[in-house]
Amino acid sequence: MTKEKRLSITIDNRNVEVRPGLTILQAARENNVFIPSLCTLEPLPSYGACRLCVVEVDGLRGFPTSCTTPVEDGMVIRTDTAEIKSLRQEVLKLLLSEHPASCLFCTEQNECKQFQGTIRKVGVTTGCRYCPNDNRCELQQVTEKIGLTETSYPVYYRGFPVEKYDPFYDRDYNLCILCGRCVRVCNNVRLNGTLSFKQRGKLTTIGPAFERSHLEAGCEFCGACVTVCPTGALSTKVSKWYGKPDNQVSTTCSYCSVGCQILLQTKNNEVLDALPDYESPVDHGLICVKGRFAIPEYVHSALRLSSPQRLTPVGYEDISWEQAITEAAEKLSGIKPEDCLVMVSPQLTNEDLFVTQQFVRQVMGSENIGSSMMSDLGNSLQMFMDLVLHTDFFDVIEKAEGVFTIGFDSTYGYSPIGISVKKAAQKGTTLITLDSVDSNLDMLSETVFKIEPSRWADFLDLFLDYSPKRSSEKRLADLVSLWGDDIERVNKLFLKSSSNVVIVGPKLIGATDAQGVMEKLIKMRDTFSWKVIVAHPYTNLAGMLAMGAFPGIKPGELLSDGDSRSPLTVQTNLSPLDLKKRRKVVYLIGEAPFDVIPECDYLIYQNGLPAESSRQPDLILPASLFTESGGTMMSVEGRVLPIQKAVEPYMNSKPDWWIMSNIAEKMNKGKMKYKDVSSIQGEIRKHIKGFPNIKKRLAFSKINVKGTGAVQVKSREGIFTQDSYRGIPLAEVVMGMKAIEERVQSISCSDKEAQ
Amino acid sequence: MSETIEAVLTQYSRKSDDLIPILQGVQKEFGYVSLESVKKISRYLRITENQIYGVSSFYAQFRFDPPGRHSIKACLGTACHVRGGATLLEMLERGLGISCGETTPDKRFDLERVACLGCCALSPVVQIDKNIYSRMTVTKLTELLKEYE
Ligand code: SF4
Ligand code: SF4
Ligand code: FES
Repeated sequence: MTKEKRLSITIDNRNVEVRPGLTILQAARENNVFIPSLCTLEPLPSYGACRLCVVEVDGLRGFPTSCTTPVEDGMVIRTDTAEIKSLRQEVLKLLLSEHPASCLFCTEQNECKQFQGTIRKVGVTTGCRYCPNDNRCELQQVTEKIGLTETSYPVYYRGFPVEKYDPFYDRDYNLCILCGRCVRVCNNVRLNGTLSFKQRGKLTTIGPAFERSHLEAGCEFCGACVTVCPTGALSTKVSKWYGKPDNQVSTTCSYCSVGCQILLQTKNNEVLDALPDYESPVDHGLICVKGRFAIPEYVHSALRLSSPQRLTPVGYEDISWEQAITEAAEKLSGIKPEDCLVMVSPQLTNEDLFVTQQFVRQVMGSENIGSSMMSDLGNSLQMFMDLVLHTDFFDVIEKAEGVFTIGFDSTYGYSPIGISVKKAAQKGTTLITLDSVDSNLDMLSETVFKIEPSRWADFLDLFLDYSPKRSSEKRLADLVSLWGDDIERVNKLFLKSSSNVVIVGPKLIGATDAQGVMEKLIKMRDTFSWKVIVAHPYTNLAGMLAMGAFPGIKPGELLSDGDSRSPLTVQTNLSPLDLKKRRKVVYLIGEAPFDVIPECDYLIYQNGLPAESSRQPDLILPASLFTESGGTMMSVEGRVLPIQKAVEPYMNSKPDWWIMSNIAEKMNKGKMKYKDVSSIQGEIRKHIKGFPNIKKRLAFSKINVKGTGAVQVKSREGIFTQDSYRGIPLAEVVMGMKAIEERVQSISCSDKEAQ
Repeated sequence: MSETIEAVLTQYSRKSDDLIPILQGVQKEFGYVSLESVKKISRYLRITENQIYGVSSFYAQFRFDPPGRHSIKACLGTACHVRGGATLLEMLERGLGISCGETTPDKRFDLERVACLGCCALSPVVQIDKNIYSRMTVTKLTELLKEYE
């Protein structure tokens, strides 16, 4: 490799060498020269709106903005002359002439910083979430740096009504300085395009078209705009008045199988907020609304179970853990293995799932470990597992020449995948979408195939082997006449390309004839070398299978050696799990599938929140949630990701593994006395070498099994429009998610009517 | 109508550079840029409706509601201004109950202010539809409006 040519420039009389392609501002920053700026922010494209970053460059007329001027060899730059300083002050004064500034020039500012004496006053007069004590307002920082202590212009208060009608965040455009960061992040990073500048001159505001609410205009509520706003104009509803968080914990979102990395903001043992991590290799900071906004309200819900409870004839009574463990141990002792059924959620950590399977095998002596996922999937369970375990890395999407999405919409979930698809399509990848309703990817799609899920298998059949003659097959005739020409055209495009990716969304799970669709997907993968990506809601399903928390699968058994995902046949015995057979005890761990569990004499419910159901559990064990107990999970890409404890367990709740190992101890059975998560990981290492190795991606063997894993209890079509965590729909707990769900429902209804 | 929108669209490329010419084309054809056409343009250019609105609301030339039956243009060029144009405009705004750039709820009139109609000798001037009225006064104008239904 030839050595990159360096440019030599002079900044404030200092000679430095820099890489070509930088702006003056970037070059200055790399060399620790401070230039104030407000509108620029990596990785957003430069914009030159705030004019605070002006500098002097020999040979260039006037005062160029350093954020938009590229460095050139031999440039002589001055960043801090008296003239520039006064120019910046003037620019800032103009900027502040439309921005409430009482907090910036307050004579009590220093006292306020120390004693927080006037916090409330500031909030009331400016309407801003940031008080001088908070140190998060960039405008405040810049004002200090520029050294402005008063302003000579009257403040023009624009008097826009504060917009509070949308979920999750409020907008006060009286505080907006029109730096355009939110517009750029929405358009250039999220590729969503909800925001733009509207009108012009002093009427300029930011927002969607035609005075629509953000919800109506297709906002994803990803919160990226709130994260980048340098003022108090955009603020998160739940955390806006909490002040500055005092700690940050990096962890993995447990709401879906993508495994986004998030930075939890905590204060006083509470999670206030969750921010994206732009350095994350998993999601590149492109988290969805669930990870961004649905965590604090869920984990600190007023409904949280706070103490063990026992059902008595007159209602529930609070009991101690000692009593609860004793009672559970008594009920579970002395019953035949087949009399107990344990249902566990795939949204638990690897460690919890490992302990669960130990509990079922060693303590109960059975393989009766189920999950509501089994009844969701019914006959298609095996194929689904096969597809999930051999899902490719997301980065294949941007390298693909053809992308095909099925039942996939990334507005309110799976956004890292969705944004990759958008990026690919913008770069010229052929994109086609198949769904029964509008998808947020349709806009970029070469052809939108709008077809009912019950016909998807037929469609794929036709797609993979197209010929107009197939209209003679009765079941395909209508598809050929409606879509034949389109299929023929796109088929040519996909045939030409050697790298095609198919992405299936969670809608597949509830689809009639899901099995038929999956069969075709496997064929696409194995026969036509398509890469397959499954976006699914069972967060740690891969970990569940790796840990053996599944009937007939032992810990580590499904993992193949090496990093390759070449299919390798292992004979496992998936014994069918009977969900109809009456049991003595049913033990639910992070699950609430009251409509599918069998009749039983005694029901144990271990979870964070109560479930809405007419069936009353006999014993309630309050469990801590993923923010309160550590561990790891395995994403659909096969990455082992850390889940970090951010706060102490809520009230009297305990981690799932703690509860199970205590019951086991009481029963005097099984070797599972754990004192912490790392002791569990030690035990897991006996089955999986080097666990948990965050760097290494775990690969699975191909599962080749006969028989089905579960019985489908009833049709559960449509359940996957609802996002849930540990069996509780997010919309029931998080207010904003309810608004979003209502919107999703109304769109799909009006879509149906239109057809 | 959507038929004709498509006819307009196909005259342009599917690059977002063509947004402004498309908006102009649509406005010329239909007199305004409707919600429906914004949606169509969005699909055609693969940019969102919000982005289109952002661009088009920047320019005073685009309107998003159907125009009124008659358009009133009050001239506020230097000459007209000096000779009472502003009073005329104020009277129009108050009388019609709308501000510049708006349409009366009964869709009878559009009101606009213009900088100069090029006939300063006749000031103050008001243009209604294609007709220029010179030496306007509040009383004359009130009478005049009655002629336009
Ligand atoms: S929340 Fe996300 S999608 Fe919505 S306006 Fe902000 S950046 Fe755009
Ligand atoms: S895409 Fe999935 S993992 Fe990422 S933030 Fe959303 S719910 Fe969490
Ligand atoms: S940072 Fe350069 S103009 Fe705002």
